[in-house]
Amino acid sequence: MPEDATPQELAERLNIIEKMIAEGRRHTESWGWTFILWGIAYYVALAWTAWRHSEWAWPATVLIAVVITIVVAYSKNARHPGTTLGRAIGSIWIALGISISLLFLALGFSGRLTDQHVFVAVIAGILGMANGASALILRWKVQFACAAVWWLAIIATSFGSDRVSTISFLAAIFLGQIAFGAYGLIAETKERNRRNPIHG
Amino acid sequence: MADLPDLNPIVHGKLRLALLSLLAGVEEAEFTWLRAKTQATDGNLGAQLLKLEEAGYVAVKKKFVLRKPQSTYRITEAGRQALTEYVRALKQLLGPAVDTRERKS
Repeated sequence: MPEDATPQELAERLNIIEKMIAEGRRHTESWGWTFILWGIAYYVALAWTAWRHSEWAWPATVLIAVVITIVVAYSKNARHPGTTLGRAIGSIWIALGISISLLFLALGFSGRLTDQHVFVAVIAGILGMANGASALILRWKVQFACAAVWWLAIIATSFGSDRVSTISFLAAIFLGQIAFGAYGLIAETKERNRRNPIHG
Repeated sequence: MADLPDLNPIVHGKLRLALLSLLAGVEEAEFTWLRAKTQATDGNLGAQLLKLEEAGYVAVKKKFVLRKPQSTYRITEAGRQALTEYVRALKQLLGPAVDTRERKS
């Protein structure tokens, strides 16, 4: 047995194992910024549509947001290790990104992006599904609350007036994207500051 | 206390134990990620990873990305086995203390 194996030392070793295994399994990528970016993108597209009624508003904004997401994600996460959990969560959001991009591009250019209620319900449904699936995999209550916000938006936009639909969409974007993204960024920063170095 | 198990001295080092535990949870990891997670210095981290590599507990893959060297580490089957046995021995040595922790968590 090593010489320094006092009960305290052994308990410390057990702590190291538990802490490091948890660290390794943690969803290591930092994704708070993408929620904020996409929240802002939705607001920009909505403002652009309200201002000019251009069919380019959604496709152009979404295309720019996709490019920024790919470039930043690649530079931030290229050095992170692969985990099964990370790949599972990543797959959900990559599939969501492809679905939403195609939806906006196809509906935008075909000129069939006309019924606001259907449009908001479809977007809210897709985002509710992705947030809900991530939350269930990660067992993360805060993200499940985001999914619930999007699910409520489906109901509000389906049964409410134009005004209710707009307000519910704006509120869902704020709560589910911007507030949740900011919460994620703050949590990541706190976690980084909490770490202590491990010496030989 | 002749029946108490021995702790593997290679695995017992704090940083080496942290590295094996980290690598047990991922498929593979780069040097920079391991450094960020352990907050260790480059020199110390490199030395401890070399010891684990020499013991056959981790495997390293070196390549150049954009002309910069990049080392990727993964735990080997022997490393996983050594970590499992170390945890088993540790639990046996700590005995009642571990049982209390597990009941509390």
